[in-house]
Amino acid sequence: MSIPTDLAAVAPSPAEGLDRRPETHRRLRRKLVAIAGGPNCGKSTLFNKLTGLRQKVANYPGVTVEKKAGFCTLTRGSTVEVLDLPGTYSLRPGSPDEVVVRDVLLGVQADTPLPDLTLLVLDATCLERQLYLCMQLIEIGRPVVVALNMMDTAEEEGIHVDAALLERAFGAPVVPISGRTGSGLRELREAMEQEVGPPRPVTRALAAPLREAAETVAGMLPTAGPLAGLSRFHVAMALLLDEGEDDSLMRAVPHAVRREVLALRSRLDAEVPEWRSHEPIGHYRAIEDLIRRATLRVKPEDSMRQRIDRVLTHRVFGPVIFIAFMAVIFQSLFMWATPLMNAIDFGVSALGRFIGPALPAGPIRSLVVDGAIAGVGAVVTFVPQIAFLFLFISLMEDSGYLARAAFIMDRLMRSVGLSGRAFIPLLSSFACAIPGIMATRTIDNRRDRLTTILIAPFMSCSARLPVYALLIGAFIPNRSVLGFLNLPGLVLFCLYVLGILAAVVVAWALKRTALRGARPLYVMELPPYRVPSLRSVLLTVRDRAGLFVQKAGTVILAVSIVLWFLASYPKNAEVKPLEKELRKVEQTASEAQARGQRAEAAAGRAQAVHLENEIAGVSLRDSFAGRAGRLIEPAIAPLGFDWKIGIALLSSFAAREVMVSTMATVYNLGDADQTSVSLREKLRHAEDPRTGERSYSPLMAVSLMVFFVLACQCMSTVAVVRRETNSWGWPIFMVVMMNALAWIASFAVFQGGRMLGLG
Amino acid sequence: MTPRGTACKKTRTLAELAPGARAVVRKVSGEPELLRRLMELGFVPGTQITLVRRAPMGDPIELRLRGTHFSIRTSEADRIDVDPD
Repeated sequence: MSIPTDLAAVAPSPAEGLDRRPETHRRLRRKLVAIAGGPNCGKSTLFNKLTGLRQKVANYPGVTVEKKAGFCTLTRGSTVEVLDLPGTYSLRPGSPDEVVVRDVLLGVQADTPLPDLTLLVLDATCLERQLYLCMQLIEIGRPVVVALNMMDTAEEEGIHVDAALLERAFGAPVVPISGRTGSGLRELREAMEQEVGPPRPVTRALAAPLREAAETVAGMLPTAGPLAGLSRFHVAMALLLDEGEDDSLMRAVPHAVRREVLALRSRLDAEVPEWRSHEPIGHYRAIEDLIRRATLRVKPEDSMRQRIDRVLTHRVFGPVIFIAFMAVIFQSLFMWATPLMNAIDFGVSALGRFIGPALPAGPIRSLVVDGAIAGVGAVVTFVPQIAFLFLFISLMEDSGYLARAAFIMDRLMRSVGLSGRAFIPLLSSFACAIPGIMATRTIDNRRDRLTTILIAPFMSCSARLPVYALLIGAFIPNRSVLGFLNLPGLVLFCLYVLGILAAVVVAWALKRTALRGARPLYVMELPPYRVPSLRSVLLTVRDRAGLFVQKAGTVILAVSIVLWFLASYPKNAEVKPLEKELRKVEQTASEAQARGQRAEAAAGRAQAVHLENEIAGVSLRDSFAGRAGRLIEPAIAPLGFDWKIGIALLSSFAAREVMVSTMATVYNLGDADQTSVSLREKLRHAEDPRTGERSYSPLMAVSLMVFFVLACQCMSTVAVVRRETNSWGWPIFMVVMMNALAWIASFAVFQGGRMLGLG
Repeated sequence: MTPRGTACKKTRTLAELAPGARAVVRKVSGEPELLRRLMELGFVPGTQITLVRRAPMGDPIELRLRGTHFSIRTSEADRIDVDPD
């Protein structure tokens, strides 16, 4: 890049016609304060401090960017609405997050009015890099209050910042605060309450070609309309530099201006190839000057950080510590969350038993107990794992370790076209894809994040284990291989490896097709280490769990009820006489019990259980689900599956482990689990009534397990992908892609095995 | 920026620096989007950069510039020409 020769000092004039909206309009709604700042500046902690628990999280329309808003009561009792914008280094957007930040601050974001005030949060410990955003923000010409955060930490680290000098330079209030201790917040609230005028842009150099182009565009901008309250020079710079052709900003200006902007861009490209770097060069010149005057370092660079980093990113210790930490997370998801999940399970069934008898026997009781309560249970079961994972992730993120973990893992993850940030979501998916997919929020690149979401369900989650255990137990002989390996263990290991291989292949393919694009810039800040605030961490955990229950939970509940209906209706005519017999047997048993004939009562009860299981089996086999199982039999027969497995595949959409209990019900065994010997026996000896041959072979079992590794059979995953991608397109793509892959792989296994004479 | 009197010293890319070495950015090249992002983060000509360390597998690298630490892949660091400081 050559150096611009024709530099001229430009001090864009403050916004003209600032806030022309009539006073009456302003009184109609609360004052809106947008909080802006770079990543890791302590913005979210400050937002939490200002709003307390009065916040809500939603998405901006049409994008996956989160909109966090809340209310804050100021010193004199007035309440303002506060908007926590995503962290960004610059107002020139490169990601959907940054487009939202720019659009909100320029007042062109749909459903969000132009903020009355922008609260810019700057981390006083690394001011220089953050002043870039500050320069751009001040140039917009809208009222700004600067919160100089972490002033206490900066003093401890030997950095003096002259807040008064910055205040004079920006022409905007600069309030030193500490989001951690809460000092300075009172002054900040007071500053937010006062009428703040437009700031004074810092004088900086700007090379002539860009400056002249911006002046041309500025002269063409209309004096009324959406952008009228802003500095025309800044709007012109944004139009020229933001690369957009038909985005929200370009659409906010007349056609003539749009045409001129595009013409100027191509002229500049031809004449001054490096024109886009004029803005950063000019800004950083001014920033260097400002930093020289406003900050003083009295102590050398933080040596604490150096010492910690020397261990945590050490060639040997770094990966070892990381693996140990991952083991703890994994353990927590697998083991520590289990007692909580069991407790929830117990609570849900206890609730069913408690409420059940209060309702009339029949469809209503069944709907409430087996449909609604079971559905709520399916949602709540995920909460412990989500809470544990986000507890660890927010601890890692707030302490600064998450960035180091990504630093260590980046090289490895790059071999599948992802970045180091994808490691934790994928690892978590071995416990459950739901928290794993939610954890992809830490991946800033959109394509990487989508790829990670789409491959996460290939990791063999804990819900697949019961299925593997049942089939391996029933069909894989317990013998040793090569003298030291145990065959069932080896098969289980291969299933996990198969999932990982599928993920690698799909990631590779996606990165070359649907999610292809310009190679993103993997620049990641390695923030200073900080002691995480417990309050912030717990708020994150609460937010994540709450959002899951609210957004994905409703879908899961609805699907649960639909699945219940499909498995319960229509009622079979055969059931009536059986139910009559059941009542008679129960009556006899209780009479025997009353007479004290223990043996007869026990026999009666056993017969009753047998009848109940038969009723459940008959009802399921003849329900819509049962009929659907028969309906899909031709499609799954080439994989070695009969219609009974078809029913199990369909019902496992509620959750994969439901496959086990469905097989038990189909075979009149009631609620047996994967360790049930009778269920294993039944599967081994099941015969096809038409041919008299064995229905299932070990080859079929392998084919079925391969199907379970690859197929997307989990409605909760679909619901959470729908929520995280904010679209139905991606979850549908995922279901089709995974199930097609599963079918092809099982077909290859079963037919290939038969050709080799293994069937 | 005035040309520096470093003609005798060899210009290298940022990726070639040894851990602990300091250098000054001379020129950044690449596609406009990548170039702009790097520049906005402060990789403008004349900026002093220290290569702090390499990741355990040799890549990415950790840099310090303008009081901030960044991790960047060597493929990107290769586009930043530097003069020894």
